[in-house]
Amino acid sequence: MLAYILRRIVATVPVMAIVALFVFSLLYIAPGDPAAVIAGDQASPTDVERIRQSLGLDQPFLVQFGTWLWHILHGDLGTSIFTSLPVASLIAQRIEPTLSLMAITLILTLLVAVPLGVVAAWKAGSWVDRTIMAFAVFAFSLPVFVVGYVLAYVFALQFEWLPVQGYTPLAEGLWPWLKNLILPSLALGCVYIALIARITRASMLEVLQQDYVRTARAKGLGQGNILFVHALKNAAVPIVTVIGIGIALLIGGAVVTESVFAIPGLGRLTVDAILRRDYPVIQGIVLLFSFLYVLVNLMVDVTYTLVDPRIRY
Amino acid sequence: MDRRTLLKGLTGVGSLAATGGLSMPALAQGAAARTLRFVPQANLANFDPIWGTQYVVRNAAALVWDTLYGIDATLQPQRQMVEAEEVSDDGLIWTFRLRPGLKFHDGEPVRSKDVVASLTRWSARDPMGLMIKAIQNELTAVDDRTFRWTLKQPYPKLLLALGKNNSPCAFIMPERIAQTDPFKQITEYVGSGPMKFAKAEWVPGAKAVFEKFTDYVPRQEKASWLAGGKQMLVDRIEWVVIPDPATAAAALQNGEVDWWESPIPDLAPVLKKNANINVDIADPLGNIGSFRMNHLHPPFNDVRARRAVLMAMNQEDYMRALVGDDNSLWKPLPGFFTPDTPLYTEEGGEILKGKRDLAAAKKLLAESGYSGQPVTCLVAQDQPITKAMGDVTADLLKQLGMNVDFVATDWGTVGARRAQKTPPGQGGWQMFHTWHAGADCISPAPYTAIRANGDKAWFGWPSSPAAEKEVSAWFDAKNLDEEKAAVRRLSKAAFEDVIYAPTGFFLSYTAWRKSISGVVKGPLPFFWGVSKTA
Amino acid sequence: MTFSTTSTAPVPPGLVIAPQLPDLLLPVAVRRGVLGFLRNHPTVAIGGALLLLLVLVGIFAPYLGTVDPTALAPARRTRLPSADHWFGTDLLGRDIYSRVLYGARVSLAVGLSVAALASLAGLTIGLVSGFVRWADGILMRVMDGLMSIPPILLAIALMALTRGSVGNVILAITVAEIPRVSRLVRSVVLSLREQPYVDAATASGTRTPMIILRHILPNTLAPMLVQATYICASAMIVESILSFIGAGTPPTIPSWGNIMAEGRALWQIKPYIVFFPAAFLSVTVLAVNLLGDGLRDALDPRMAKSL
Repeated sequence: MLAYILRRIVATVPVMAIVALFVFSLLYIAPGDPAAVIAGDQASPTDVERIRQSLGLDQPFLVQFGTWLWHILHGDLGTSIFTSLPVASLIAQRIEPTLSLMAITLILTLLVAVPLGVVAAWKAGSWVDRTIMAFAVFAFSLPVFVVGYVLAYVFALQFEWLPVQGYTPLAEGLWPWLKNLILPSLALGCVYIALIARITRASMLEVLQQDYVRTARAKGLGQGNILFVHALKNAAVPIVTVIGIGIALLIGGAVVTESVFAIPGLGRLTVDAILRRDYPVIQGIVLLFSFLYVLVNLMVDVTYTLVDPRIRY
Repeated sequence: MDRRTLLKGLTGVGSLAATGGLSMPALAQGAAARTLRFVPQANLANFDPIWGTQYVVRNAAALVWDTLYGIDATLQPQRQMVEAEEVSDDGLIWTFRLRPGLKFHDGEPVRSKDVVASLTRWSARDPMGLMIKAIQNELTAVDDRTFRWTLKQPYPKLLLALGKNNSPCAFIMPERIAQTDPFKQITEYVGSGPMKFAKAEWVPGAKAVFEKFTDYVPRQEKASWLAGGKQMLVDRIEWVVIPDPATAAAALQNGEVDWWESPIPDLAPVLKKNANINVDIADPLGNIGSFRMNHLHPPFNDVRARRAVLMAMNQEDYMRALVGDDNSLWKPLPGFFTPDTPLYTEEGGEILKGKRDLAAAKKLLAESGYSGQPVTCLVAQDQPITKAMGDVTADLLKQLGMNVDFVATDWGTVGARRAQKTPPGQGGWQMFHTWHAGADCISPAPYTAIRANGDKAWFGWPSSPAAEKEVSAWFDAKNLDEEKAAVRRLSKAAFEDVIYAPTGFFLSYTAWRKSISGVVKGPLPFFWGVSKTA
Repeated sequence: MTFSTTSTAPVPPGLVIAPQLPDLLLPVAVRRGVLGFLRNHPTVAIGGALLLLLVLVGIFAPYLGTVDPTALAPARRTRLPSADHWFGTDLLGRDIYSRVLYGARVSLAVGLSVAALASLAGLTIGLVSGFVRWADGILMRVMDGLMSIPPILLAIALMALTRGSVGNVILAITVAEIPRVSRLVRSVVLSLREQPYVDAATASGTRTPMIILRHILPNTLAPMLVQATYICASAMIVESILSFIGAGTPPTIPSWGNIMAEGRALWQIKPYIVFFPAAFLSVTVLAVNLLGDGLRDALDPRMAKSL
C-alpha cells in the first residue's frame, strides 16, 4: 500500500504541471492590466507604462513562466503585485478562515447528512423517507447565497443570536470562533448535506438488502448496531467517494459564502485578485486549491482500503 | 437586561469554560471601548500613497503620515508640520522651519533631509509637484529643522500643493523610505502621523489596524480637516473590509462595526430608522459623475457628435440611478466645477439645461456623419457608480439611434483599455465612465480631467487650445476675481469642445453608531476628535 | 456539481452498468409506452412537466404580459410589486416580471447547452480514452488537471479574455464539466471491454466503431442521460454564482443570476428583487433534479450510489 501511495503522489506532479501551465497561459493572454489599476484613476499613460516595466510585465511568455516555475520549486510563490507581500504569506493569512469554514461544514454535513440518509434508507418508502428526500432535493436546488442571506436575516438580524459577518480566530476562544462559523457553514453545507444524504440513502438501500444484514438481524443485533456498524461500513465506499468530490463544491461555494458573510478567507482573496489581475496571487491560489483537491482524492483512495478490505492495490 | 446582553453574558461564560480559562486576547473589555471599527469604501490592498493614488489609500495614509501643510474647511492651506515659512519678495525663494518635537514612529526625529527626500518622491508623481519641479532650482535642507525651495519662476500655489487633500498628498516619510523609486511601492510604513500602522495585523483586502502613536504632538489649534491639532481619542482603529453592502448594513445595525464610510443611498432609510445610528452627508463637496468620449476616433472625434450626446442626455436619469429617490443627494450640474465652491460656474452649460430635445440631437448626430458604426462603451461592473451610469448611457445611446457595443468588465480592464489610443476595432474604445471627488474639482490645480492638451491630457485626449489658455490664465491669476474670470472662460470652452460629459453632482452618506461622536463632514473620513463610549 | 468516480481506484462494485442482455437499446419500462412510463415514475413526470413549462415560459416570454426587459426608468426604481409591475421594479426602474421571464431563456439556454456540449465532448474523450491505451494516460491526466481548477476561476478568466457573454459562460462551465463525463464514460468502457460478449464480438471481427455503437453506447446512454440532467442543474446554479460575483452574463441581458446580483445590496429592505429570480431558479433546478432522479430510478437505481 505504501508503494501505491507513493505512486499516486508521483502521479500528481504532471497533473499539477498541467494546471499551472493552463492557468498561467490563460491569465497571460487576458487583456486586463494590473499596472493600470495600480497607477490609479488620475495617472497618465506614461505612468502606467513605467509601472508595467517596473513589475516585469513586459517580458516574453516563456521567460515569465520559466521564472515563475523556478521560484515555485524553491517554495517562493511570488510577490503580490498589489500589496508587495509574498503570496505565500497572503495565503497563510487567509487560509485559517477558509479551512475552518470547510472543516466545520464537513463535520456538520457528516453529522447531519449521514444519519438522515441512513434513516431514510431504513424507512425506505415511508413518509419519513419521502420527506427527507424531498427536503434533500429542495436543498440541493437552492443557490448558496440565497440561503446565506435568509439565514443572516433570520438569525442575525431578527433574533440577533449570531453575528452577521466576520471571523474570529480560534486563538481567541472556541465559542467565538464557532459563533462566526455557524451560519456560513449552514449556508455552505445545505447543498452538501443534501448530496451526501441522497448518496447515503442509495448506497444503504442496496446494502440493507444483502443477506448478511438479514443474518445480523437474525442474530439479534440491535437496529442501531446493524445500521451504523455493519451496514454503513459496507455502504461507505460510494459515500466516501462523493465526499471527496464534494470538496470541489465546498471550494466553489466558499467564494460566495465568504463574500456574503465577510469572512477574510481564500475565496474572497481569489475574487479580489482576479478582478485586479493580481497574477501571482491567482496562480498561487490555483496551485493550492488543486493540491488540496488532489490530496483529498488521495485520502479518499486510502480510506477505501480502510473501509473495504476487499479493495487492494 | 435585554436578550442580547443576556446571551452575550452566557456566551462569555461559555467561552471561558470552553477555553478552560485561556487568557483573553488583548482586546479585553476596557480596551474594546477604545477601539474604533470602521468599514472603508474599498479594500486597502496596498499602502503607498505616492505610488497608488486611490482614495482609500490616501484616507489610510492620512492617519499614518503627516503633511507640512493641510487644508482646512475653508479650503485654505494652514501650517501643520511647519512652524513658520518665509517667501522672498520675488516669490522665488521659500524657506520653511519645522515644528520642534516632531518624531517618526520608530523614535527618530523628523529632519529636513527626510522632508527633502519625501518632497522629491512626491513631486515625481503629483501634477502640481511636476509643475514645481519643472521650475525648480533646488530643494535643500539648510539644517535639521529648516529647508529651502528655490524656484526659477514664482509659484503662488505652493502651499496649496503641499497641503492639498487630493492624491497624492505631500506626506513626509523618513529619508530611507522616501528614497524608494516613485514607481515602486514602499515596504515600510513609518510616518510621523497620529497613528501607527500595525503591519503585522494587516490582512490586505480584509483588515487593517492602526494604533495610537503616543509621542505625537498635536498642534494647539482646533482641528479642521487636515489642519489644526490631530487629537486621537481612541487607542486603536480597525478597518474592516466588507464588500457586500447588505452585510455591512447588518453589521452596523448589530454593533459589530461602529462607522461605515459609504453606505449606499438605498440602505440609508433603514439605517436612519435605527435608533442607534446616525446618518449624514459625508462630504459637502460631493462627487461629480462623468463619462468621457474618445476625441481621437470616430464618431466622437467630431464635436457635433459629442454635443449631440450632451443634448440628449438627462442628468436626472443618471443621478436617480445612483441615489434613488432622495432629492437631497443630488443636483443637476451644468458645469464642470464643484457647486457651492468659490469657482463654481455654469457658463456654457445651457446645453445641459432645459427640456431634452432628442430630435435635434439625432439631427446633429447625423450631421456629424455618424453612419451606424458600433460605439464601444466600457462599463466597470464592480463599481456601483460606474455600473449604474453605464446602464443609463447604453439606453441613451440606443435612443439616439447609435449602435452600442456594451463592454461589461471590471475596473481593472477599464483602466487598461482606456489607456489605449488605438481605434476601437483594434482594442480601443469610444466611451468610458468614471467619477471625481468634488474636492478634486474645486479649481484647475488638481483637476487633471479638465485638461485638454491633446496627447498629454487624461484618457479621451481632448484637445482644446481655448480651454488650455484659460488654465494657464488661472495659474497666473493674481486674485480671486481674475481666477473666477479665467474659470468662467474655461467652462465655456470646455462645453464648446465637450472635454467630458458631467452626469451630475451627487452626495454620499456616511453612517455611524451613536456610541461614537466627533464625526465631521469632509473630503475624507477624519479620525481625530472621534471618541467612543462603550 | 455532477459526480462520478474520479479516482483511479478500480470501479467500486455495483457501479457496472450493464444490463444482462447486451443489445438492449432502451430499458424495458420505456418500451411499454411513454405514458405508462410516466405513470409509473411520477418524479420524471413532475420534473419533466415543470421543466417543459419553464421552457415554454422562456420561449413565449414576449406574449405573457411582459414589456421590454431592458427599458429603464430610473425615476421609477425599486417600486414594490403592484398592478403595474407584478414583481416590482429593480434598481434602474426595469420591470422585474419581464426580466425574470426573459431570464428563463438565459438560464435554460446555459443549462441545456452545457449539458449537451459537455456530454458530447465527454463522451468522445471517454471513448477515446477507454479504447486507445496510449492516449488514456495523457487524456486522464489532462482531465484531472482540469478538474482541479475551480470552475468559477476558469469562467472569470475566460470572461476577462474577451468579455462577459452567454457564450463564454457556457464555454467555461462546459470545460469544467467535461472531465466528469469523460471519466464516467471511460469507466463504463473499461469495465465493458473485459466482458465476454465484447471479447466475442472483437474475436468475430467486429470493428471498433461497431462495438462502440452496439455495445458501449447503449450502456453509457442511461448514466449519461442522468448525469446530463445533473450537469444542467449545476450549470444553472454556477451561472447564477458567476453573476453574483460579477463574472457572468453581461448586464444588458437579463438572467436570474444578474437580477439577483443587482438586488443583493437591498436584500433587507426590498427582498423581492432577489426573491423572484431565486424562486424561479430554485424551481427550475428542482425540476431538473427531479427529472434526473426519476430517470435514474427508472433506468437503473443502482446509479444512485454514485450520481
